[in-house]
Parts: sequence; C-alpha cells; structure tokens
Amino acid sequence: MKREHHHLYPQTDPSTSASAAAGKSKMWDEDGCGGGGDDELLAVLGYKVRSSDMAEVAQKLEQLEEVMFSAQEDGLSHLASETVHYNPSDLSSWLESMLSEFNPLPPPPGGFGGGPLSVPVAAAPPRPQPVGDPFLPRAESSSITTVDFGADQRMQSSCGRSSQMNEPRPEIGSSGIVFDEESSSDYDLKAIPGKAVFGRAQAQAQAQTRTRLASTSSSSTSSSAVTAKRFKSSPSDAAVGAAPESSRPVVLVDSQENGVRLVHALMACADAVQQDNLSIAEALVKQIGFLAISQAGAMRKVATFFAEALARRIYRVYPQNPPLDHSLTDALQMHFYETCPYLKFAHFTANQAILEAFEGKSRVHVIDFSMNQGLQWPALMQALALRPGGPPTFRLTGIGPPAPDNSDRLQEVGWKLAQLAETIHVEFEYRGFVANSLADLDASILELRPSDAEAVAVNSVFELHKLLARPGAIEKVLGVVRQVRPAIVTVVEQEANHNGPVFVDRFNESLHYYSTLFDSLEGCASTQDKAMSEVYLGKQICNVVACEGADRVERHETLAQWRVRLGGAGFVPAHLGSNAFKQASMLLALFAGGDGYRVEENGGCLTLGWHTRPLIATSAWRLGGPSAGAAH
Amino acid sequence: MAGSNGVGLSESKMVVPLNMWVLISNFKLKYNLLRRPDGTFDRHLAEFLDRKVPANANPVDGIFSFDVIIDRTMNLLCRIYRPAFTEEPQPSLIDLEKPVDAEFVPVIVFFHGGSFAHSSANSAIYDTLCRRLVGICKAIVVSVNYRRAPENRYPCAYDDGWLALKWVSSRSWLQSKIDSKVHIFLAGDSSGGNIVHSVALRAAEAEIEVSGNILLNPMFGGEERTESEKKLDGKYFVGIRERDWYWRAFLPEGENRDHPACNPFGPRGKSLEGIKFPKSLVVVAGLDLIQDWQLAYAKGLEKAGQEVKLLFLEQATIGFYLLPNNNHFYTVMNEISSFVNPNGK
Repeated sequence: MKREHHHLYPQTDPSTSASAAAGKSKMWDEDGCGGGGDDELLAVLGYKVRSSDMAEVAQKLEQLEEVMFSAQEDGLSHLASETVHYNPSDLSSWLESMLSEFNPLPPPPGGFGGGPLSVPVAAAPPRPQPVGDPFLPRAESSSITTVDFGADQRMQSSCGRSSQMNEPRPEIGSSGIVFDEESSSDYDLKAIPGKAVFGRAQAQAQAQTRTRLASTSSSSTSSSAVTAKRFKSSPSDAAVGAAPESSRPVVLVDSQENGVRLVHALMACADAVQQDNLSIAEALVKQIGFLAISQAGAMRKVATFFAEALARRIYRVYPQNPPLDHSLTDALQMHFYETCPYLKFAHFTANQAILEAFEGKSRVHVIDFSMNQGLQWPALMQALALRPGGPPTFRLTGIGPPAPDNSDRLQEVGWKLAQLAETIHVEFEYRGFVANSLADLDASILELRPSDAEAVAVNSVFELHKLLARPGAIEKVLGVVRQVRPAIVTVVEQEANHNGPVFVDRFNESLHYYSTLFDSLEGCASTQDKAMSEVYLGKQICNVVACEGADRVERHETLAQWRVRLGGAGFVPAHLGSNAFKQASMLLALFAGGDGYRVEENGGCLTLGWHTRPLIATSAWRLGGPSAGAAH
Repeated sequence: MAGSNGVGLSESKMVVPLNMWVLISNFKLKYNLLRRPDGTFDRHLAEFLDRKVPANANPVDGIFSFDVIIDRTMNLLCRIYRPAFTEEPQPSLIDLEKPVDAEFVPVIVFFHGGSFAHSSANSAIYDTLCRRLVGICKAIVVSVNYRRAPENRYPCAYDDGWLALKWVSSRSWLQSKIDSKVHIFLAGDSSGGNIVHSVALRAAEAEIEVSGNILLNPMFGGEERTESEKKLDGKYFVGIRERDWYWRAFLPEGENRDHPACNPFGPRGKSLEGIKFPKSLVVVAGLDLIQDWQLAYAKGLEKAGQEVKLLFLEQATIGFYLLPNNNHFYTVMNEISSFVNPNGK
C-alpha cells in the first residue's frame, strides 16, 4: 500500500525521496524529513517551515493563542486591521511579527523623536467596514488624492469618508468606466499613501517589524529556489539565473468548437515553422485566417495577431526593432494604461514599496529604467507631498531610448512633472538620460550622491526582460544597480516564460498568456482604447513569435526565474505586505468590467492576474549583505 | 497552559503529528483574524493569507490541471485534474479536454471546505488534496470555485454546485467509453460536504444521475447543542462559537440553524424517502465537535432507506486528510477509491 502512494509526495529531487519515504513510515515522527530542510508536506501546501523549527513554530502558535485569548476582542481586531502582514508562507516570521505586536520592541537607540512606543491599543477600535464596499475606507486608512495631470493642475484631496469616496463617481456605470480626456487621470490608480505616510510611531513599529523580517528573508530566497526546483523537469543549466520552470498555468475561457480548431491550427503551424516545413506552415497560416474570422471576441484577435506573427516569420518580413514611431508607441501605451489595470497595478505596487523604503528619508532619488511618459510618478510625488513633516527633496532620473526625430521626449516629461511638483510644493530635480539600452549605462553617469545623503530607488517596469536579448547585459545592469546602492529596487515583469529555447514552447506559452490577457480586456467599455491596447499587445506577440536573436526583446521570464537572477546578483527580497495587497485589491474593485482581476501574494511579491492566472508580478529588492549573492 | 476555554492546548497536540498540529493551528489562527464580531469578513486579508497555486498543464507526479470558466455570466471557474496521458510526457494544450480513453473513469466533482467562507479551488491545500484523489482513485477531479459567504449567502454555493454538475454531466469528453456516460461522484469536505448533499438532492429531483456522494467531515448543525459539541468545544481546534458564526454568515439573514441547509434531517428537514438519492460515504472524525450532527445525517439517510456507509475514525481531528502522514488519511483514501471504482479497479 505504501509503495503505490510514493507519488503523492513532492519529489524535489531523488535525494529527498528517501527521507520522504522514511518520514512517511515514521507516522508520528515530528521530524518528518530530517535535519535542516523544509518540511516537505507543509511546503507543498505553501508553508515554509524548517523541520528543525517545527517545535518552535508550534510554541509560537500556542503563545499567540494565549496572548490573543487574554487580549480579547481588541487585540484580535488590532491584529487583523492594524498589523501589516508579510509573506505568510514564512510561518515562523509571520507568527513572530504578530507576537511582537503584543510585546513591542523598545524604541531604537537615538530615537526618532516620535516618543516611546506603547502597546498598540485600539483606543477607538475601527468600526468594521461592510464587506465588499471599497468606497468606504476605514477610519485609519489614508487618503486618496486625485491630480489632474495635464493642462489643469488643480489638486483635490479626499480623506477618510469624504463624499468623494462615498458616492460612486457619475462616470462609473455598470457597463464600465468611461474615460474622457480631461478627467481620465482621476481614475488613475494614484498612490494611496498608506501606512508609510502615517504617524512616526506607527511607522516605526512597522519599520521594526520589517527590519526583523528582512533579516530572515535570506531563508525566503532559498525557499524560493526550492519552489523553482519543484517544477523543474530537467537539471538547471549552469547559466546564471536561467533555470526555466516547467509550470504551465492555463485558464481556458473559450472551449467552443471553432476555438479548439483555431488553436489546433495555430499550434500545427508553429510546429511546421519549427520543422522548417514552410509550405505547410504557409497553408496553415491561411487556414488560420479563415478560422479566425468565424471566432468571436478575444480568441479572434489573439489568433489574428499570432497568425500575422507566424506569417512574418514564414515570409521573413520582420517588424522594425526598435520601432521608429515613438509617438505611436507612446499613444498605444497610454491607451493600454487607461484600458486595463495592469500598468496601474504595476505603478501602484512599485510605489508602495518605494514609499516604504523612503520612510524617514529627507532626500530621495528615483532612477526609472522605464520612464516612457512618466505615468508612475505623479502618484508617488503626491504621496511624498502628504508625508507628515513634509515631503523630501525628490530627484528623478529618467532613462529612455533615443527619439528618431531628435525631440527630447524625456525632457518634456520631466518638465511636466516639474510643473506638478511646483503645485504640490515638492522640491524637484530631474535628469533625463537617453540610452539605446540600459546596458549602456554606467553608475558614473547617474550622478549619484553619497548614500547617507540620498536614498535611491531603482524602478523597472517591463524593461529588464529586454536585456536578456544580449549576453551579459542583464548582469551588467544588475551590477550597475548594485553600485548605485539603492534602498529599494522595484521590478515589475510579465509573469510568463516566453524565453525558453524551443520555439514551439514559446509559441504555446505566449498563446495562452495573451489569450488570457486579451480575455481580460473584453470587459472594457471603450472600443477605441481597447483596440489600441490590443495593438500594443499585438506588437509584443509579434516580437515573441517573429523575431530572434538581439531583435527578440520580449523575453519574459517568470517571478521564480527573476528571483534566481536577482538573488544571484546579490539582492534579497523586500516583501510587499497586506496593506499594499489590500489597497491594490480595493482599487481593482473600482475597475468596472473587470470582475475577474485577482491580486495574489506570492512569497512577498504581488501578482495581478485574470482569474487564477497571474499575468504580471511586482517584486521589490534590497542589497543583500556581503554573504548574499555569492557566485551562483 | 490555558487554551480558549481553560483546557490544555497540549491535548490536540497529542493526537496529531506535529506538522499537522502546526498546519491546523495556523489555519485556526488565520481564521480568527478574519471573522469580525459583527458578522463581516475580512476578505482582503483572507485572500492575502491564503496560499494559492496556479493550475499546471505540465504533469507533476503524473497529474496535470487546468482551469475552465464554465459560466461567464456567473464567473464560475473549475479546476480540472487529470492523469497524464501515457503516450506523451506533456499534454499538448489542445489535448487538455481530450476525450477520456478508459472504459471507466470516475469523475469526482469536488467542493472544497472552509465553512462556506474560506478557501478557493486554487488554494494549495485543496489543489494538493485533489491531486491525491486523482492519483489514488484514478479519477478525474473537477474542483468547483463556488461563491463564498458572507458576501454570497445560501443558496449561492448550491447554485454554483448545481451549475458545475450540469456542466460536467454534459461534457462528452468526460464520458467513460464503456457506456458513453459521465460517471459522476460528488465529494466535499466540511462545507463542501454540505454542498454535496444539496446538489445531490437537486440532481435527484432533476433526474441527473449521480453515482455517489462522498462527505468528508461534512458541515451540518442545528439549534440544539449536542453532546459532542458540549464535550469537545474548543478542544481540537474548533469551537461552537465559530461554528455559529459561519452559519450566521451562510444562512439567510434572520434564519436559525434548523434551516434545512444546516439541518437537513431536523424539524424543518425534508424526507428523502422514495427519492432516488445516490449512495453515500460519510466520514466522521471522532474528535470533531459536530460529529453528532454528522452521525445524525448518516442515520437520517439510513432511515430514509438510502444506501449509506459510515466511516467513523475515532482519533481523527478535523483536517486529517490534508496531510498524508497519518493512518486515517490512507484509510479514507482507500475507501473513497473503492467507493468510486465499484468494479474493484
């Protein structure tokens, strides 16, 4: 009986199977798999607990139960509503952070002048919010501010239960949000400043919690590697950070007859292309065209883009790269930004991490690898402006590609941001750097100042994967980032592996990824925005499928893969917490037409997906100690 | 060391392996944080804390999974688990819904637990359990991501279960080759077990054939306080007050626990006599405080002339089936396997 159940155990690699079997036979053995490894049975369920720590974790659970019992309702509601939770997979740290809420640490030496910490007492316990009403923030939550970014620099702010938050804005109808140019920015997911801009005492409590968590985060890194290993079907290659996952998240939204034939034809065509059977491929591409027309909705559009990309590959009519028309790219991205929440989520969650890292710093500097039109920064600047004690000096370095007409787009963007800064009274400095590739940058160019004088954040939204097209580029850039000595590095990437060595695999992966992504767009009201967004994504599809070598820049890799790369380059995770999660979720709820959007927590990172399929992932990193990032 | 009602916490520690104690206690703690005294639920924190896993169309241990939106308007999603095909190591994505190749394949429609409020089809604990079911029973499992309380009260979860049943029964690719029929078993733990009963009842009335019901520690209750509830309150991870909370969250406002959804064989229950109800396998954990209600359920089926097998596991606590490091797990899994493979596969 036991032998036939061996496959129920997670087999990470052969050397653990023996201990797993041994663990199984010792039914009541507490030390299920021996020694310093993670308990495998709990690991499969998403909890990382070292077997050797099990008893201690049990003890913490008991302590917490006792403490909560004696603290009664107040303590409980405080833990639920006030405490920011991080990385619930790491049970030991999670429990510890809650225990510390009841046994707070003494104030740090030298103090911040915020006065001694007291036992967090919910003096006026926050009235519980009715579930499912994102328009009513809790009393202690922060304000949402809206800024018109553009001609009208008027600033409105709404706090707590102001009318602006309570009443649904007239534009939000059941069919979706209608964006008109003037007020479109009102619907941007501006930063909810969150805990980071709150009273020092509270913020300190969290800084304490987080500091302690950070020191145990190295265990998270290694267990992330464990997660990656679990799905590997082949030994990892020696190349740094390139371990591919063999995990294929799939959400089937369209199982109609024609849809299936379409997918069939697409995959057969990709196969033919890979085999270099170009005449078959050609015939199939034409067939796909006919089949696509008979399809409805997302599948038709996706199929059309993939068919076009295949055709380009077959006929060797490759798309221009880099694209010549930046203003078109800008416009497309702007529409994508407006249509669906992906970019907004990316900006919002990255900003949360940046805000927390900039806590208490009087001079801050953001280096943005993905400057584009600077859509991320008004919200951050707003949040900084609202800090009690006033905003820090804010320096922004924007990096972008050269414009063919020699226009200085970067400078224009900077100028607009400067105007905004003036309105909200934030001291602002801006530099734009034009670079063909991030790999062309050196730390010396960035005009860094001593790190005790200035806290630096490096931000990259959908840019790092492009570096994988040239050997050595990612390593160089990460090296430069290290030299910058950032307080925080924020990375947002597509949650997919579109960089595998086999063309057909890449094709299949991206087919399902973009099918899901396009499906999420279907609920959007505005057909104009939607169409442009589809074109924006279509260009990515074209690149993944039709291009190769240095031209193929859409080399998306998964969070697990990025963890290995960044870990190998000497960075350790900085966890995003339940506050960022909650605010992101609440803002998503405002996005009508998007019932299926889901935020998920993944080992300290946040992902946004459509139903059960994560599509983009935000992670935050800081420099590890001297021992971190040893040669991979 | 005092527990929630003055009883030593070490009691529960003595009956389960340590890692299971940690797992279930962790869930207990988590759940405590999420329930608010006024009956609302911290859904955001719940989603943050829940450990989820994506579907995986690549086989892991011989099993692959994929998610299907079975109803767009209701946003109803199911996760489907299948044994990997023997011919190819990795199913092509178009083969996910490839017709079943065996003479007989049980299709288990699974409803995860969580007292109607917690967990999802993609929760790690349930993804793992479903995979184990596939492996042991040689079945296809369809895990239903039903709507949860308190945001969605009775009968939402039942309606979603019913939708899923209809969808499964109409999939030609799920038909066993021997008779071109879909052989459906309904299974669920905790609230999932409760859903099984209601969906089976509806199926019987609509004459959709369900081959069997599997209820694992099913969630039932009633106004009366039974002996087991009084005796075991707070001792093995579960207390009466939280059970009450979940019923208040699920049942229509103003209803009490004698509502037939909670107490199907109670004063407001409906007789099952003469109804073509599927055979039932009812698993009861001896340290579960609601066992008296579960035993009453099995008795009620029996008295109505329905086929029922009761599996009473004396020393088992709630959640024993979440980890395979105890005898109860294997006992139950083998029973389920025999139950769904009646021809002795």
